[in-house]
Amino acid sequence: MTIIHVENIRKSFGKNKAVDDVSFDVEKGRIFGLLGPNGAGKTTTIRMINNILGPDEGSITINGQIASPLTQKMIGYMPEERGLYKKMKVEEQLLYLTQLKGMKTKAAKEAIHYWLDRFDASDWTKKEVGELSKGMSQKIQFIATIAHDPDIYIFDEPFSGLDPINSDMLKDIIIELKNNGKTILFSTHRMEQVEQMCDDICLFNKGKAVLQGKLREVKASFGKNTINLEFDGDGSFLDKLEGVRLNNRSTNFAEIRVLNGQNMQDILKLAMEHAEIHKFERIEPSLNEIFISTVGEDNLKAQRLEEAP
Amino acid sequence: MDFSKILLVLKREYFTRAKSKSFILSTILTPLVLIGFGAFMVWIMTSETETDKSVGVYDQTGVLVENLIALDSVRYSNVSDLPIDTVKAMVLREDLDAYLLLEEKHIETNENAELIYGGSGGLAFSSSVRGDIRDVIQEERLSRANVSDEVKELFARRPGLDSRKLTAEGEAEDDKAGFMSGVGFVLGLLIFIGLFGYGAVLMRSVIEEKTNRIVEVITSSLKPIELLIGKVAGVCLLGFTQFTVWAVMYIGISMAAVPIAGVLMQDQISEMADTQDIEQVAAEAGFDPASLEVLSIDPMIFVYFFLFFVLGFFMYAALFAAVGSAVDSEQDTQQFMPILMVPLMGAYILNTRIMVDPDSTLAVVASMFPLTSPINMITRIATTDVPVWQIGASLALLVASFFGVMWVSAKIYRVGILMYGKKASFGDFAKWIRQS
Repeated sequence: MTIIHVENIRKSFGKNKAVDDVSFDVEKGRIFGLLGPNGAGKTTTIRMINNILGPDEGSITINGQIASPLTQKMIGYMPEERGLYKKMKVEEQLLYLTQLKGMKTKAAKEAIHYWLDRFDASDWTKKEVGELSKGMSQKIQFIATIAHDPDIYIFDEPFSGLDPINSDMLKDIIIELKNNGKTILFSTHRMEQVEQMCDDICLFNKGKAVLQGKLREVKASFGKNTINLEFDGDGSFLDKLEGVRLNNRSTNFAEIRVLNGQNMQDILKLAMEHAEIHKFERIEPSLNEIFISTVGEDNLKAQRLEEAP
Repeated sequence: MDFSKILLVLKREYFTRAKSKSFILSTILTPLVLIGFGAFMVWIMTSETETDKSVGVYDQTGVLVENLIALDSVRYSNVSDLPIDTVKAMVLREDLDAYLLLEEKHIETNENAELIYGGSGGLAFSSSVRGDIRDVIQEERLSRANVSDEVKELFARRPGLDSRKLTAEGEAEDDKAGFMSGVGFVLGLLIFIGLFGYGAVLMRSVIEEKTNRIVEVITSSLKPIELLIGKVAGVCLLGFTQFTVWAVMYIGISMAAVPIAGVLMQDQISEMADTQDIEQVAAEAGFDPASLEVLSIDPMIFVYFFLFFVLGFFMYAALFAAVGSAVDSEQDTQQFMPILMVPLMGAYILNTRIMVDPDSTLAVVASMFPLTSPINMITRIATTDVPVWQIGASLALLVASFFGVMWVSAKIYRVGILMYGKKASFGDFAKWIRQS
């Protein structure tokens, strides 16, 4: 069953087309990953789903209803730019945020205390958020997102800036929510998390959805055109290979994406001449590889240059 | 528009601020600072600024100098017997501050006498000497003209003017124009302070939500316009709380002041009561019931004060919020502040004219123009009888421009609150208004 239906949406800011004719469906009870480089239009799309921005064209329906203040209550949203009122006490603040999502005071209090207990945070209720450590306030932020028990959870770059403990905790929460039949949509540019967690993906580039589907199917469609190679010895032979792309290379390991259909046995032969082979495996490409080959390496390099300080 | 959400925002905005230490402190301290400032001003006005200056009188008429010395023996001294060069030398040596050159022609013709001073003169000094000279010369002229004592007395008397106001009942009541123009100015000043002070509070609150990065979480739960209205109303209510506390403090202090003053005067009164009528004593002590009548203020003025403050605040608050939404920090507001400062300061400066001349064309225009009317109209209402149609038109214009300003500001606000790390310009404002 489709719970979020996005159809031909467009959004421009001045001359900049942030989102350009994007359509996708999110199925109920699944984890949906929105991937893409920075500036690809993920956040704008997420804001439109949350009814913070309206699309210039196209339509978004949540549970069959056009995105509106009513559908906002069905969603728990944690934006990339996270924050809380520093001068407000934890409990007051959570109460305010959950009431804004339409919860009654009593039910809101119960939910807040349940989650504070689960995160061992019951002692903080009377503390101001400004007094809490970063990790602690991240936990409060999670509670603010999920306490009103919505059907849909949207996290924009949820793992950026999280410490490892909270990062694992959020992963567990997401899995738990999924097991309870909830729907999760999150955006990220970190592929390993998507591979670990997502059922479905949609890849954004320059405002367009360039690739989408079930993660398994997307990967299978690329075929087993990648080699996992483990070896011992001089790895410089890898530089002699032509028509390949090396991902994840280290002193005794390489992930080799074979381009233009050349014979993989030739690569094995070359490798055996130069090093002792421990493992040679044909696999589906990693999501990172899919990401690079779809978006294009040049595009990504430009992106990294922009990001560099 | 979801009013339950607006109410939630309002409550949060109001209570987190009303409970804050800075609010409680400013509520208590502001009147004390104002009283202190007022006392300081009174002290400055009443303190003797005139220093004793010595003036040598070089009098060739031989009649004026005696009268001058009789008038002020500390200031004036007779130097008529010394050579004029010696007198000049004394002034240069600062033995004298100045010398006066008086001749027959100053009595007989209209030629002005001359005051020649060394070091520094000062306006107050020369005008006080001028007054003395006028008195002395006039007296001499009168005595030379050989007029009767009656005529002399006529000259000594100064005609005065008492003003009374004609009311609808046809009875003249005691004039309180002076008092009411003071009240009008103070009410205008209060609105000025309120618009500016609470506008700034709201602006800071908007910036705070942006820098805390909470605003995106909030806007995933309600419309920006609902957030804006809730915040404006919350801060407005905060302003009322503060005004109410101050009013109660003022009434409390003045009520406490009467018994205290009474106790202080008790001794005097009981002493005098032996010999005199109590009523007379009371009258002498200044307890004239009629004087309280003069000081009473028409309650309708407070209704208008309320109306103009609320409408004015909502309009200015929308502008302050728009500015706040467009910046990342308070420092960045500098470039936009003139839009808010110029009309507010202008209205305040105009008010000093309007309180003395409330029916001039300037006053009428300023009390109609929506950006200045909240401040200028209340001063006019207190000071003069403003035609009802003018008040009505002023309110209507204010309401209309409030909606206009709110509409534009809400558009800027909607886009601005989600913009990070970019300094907005006026050009961006125009773009955002068109965009949303």
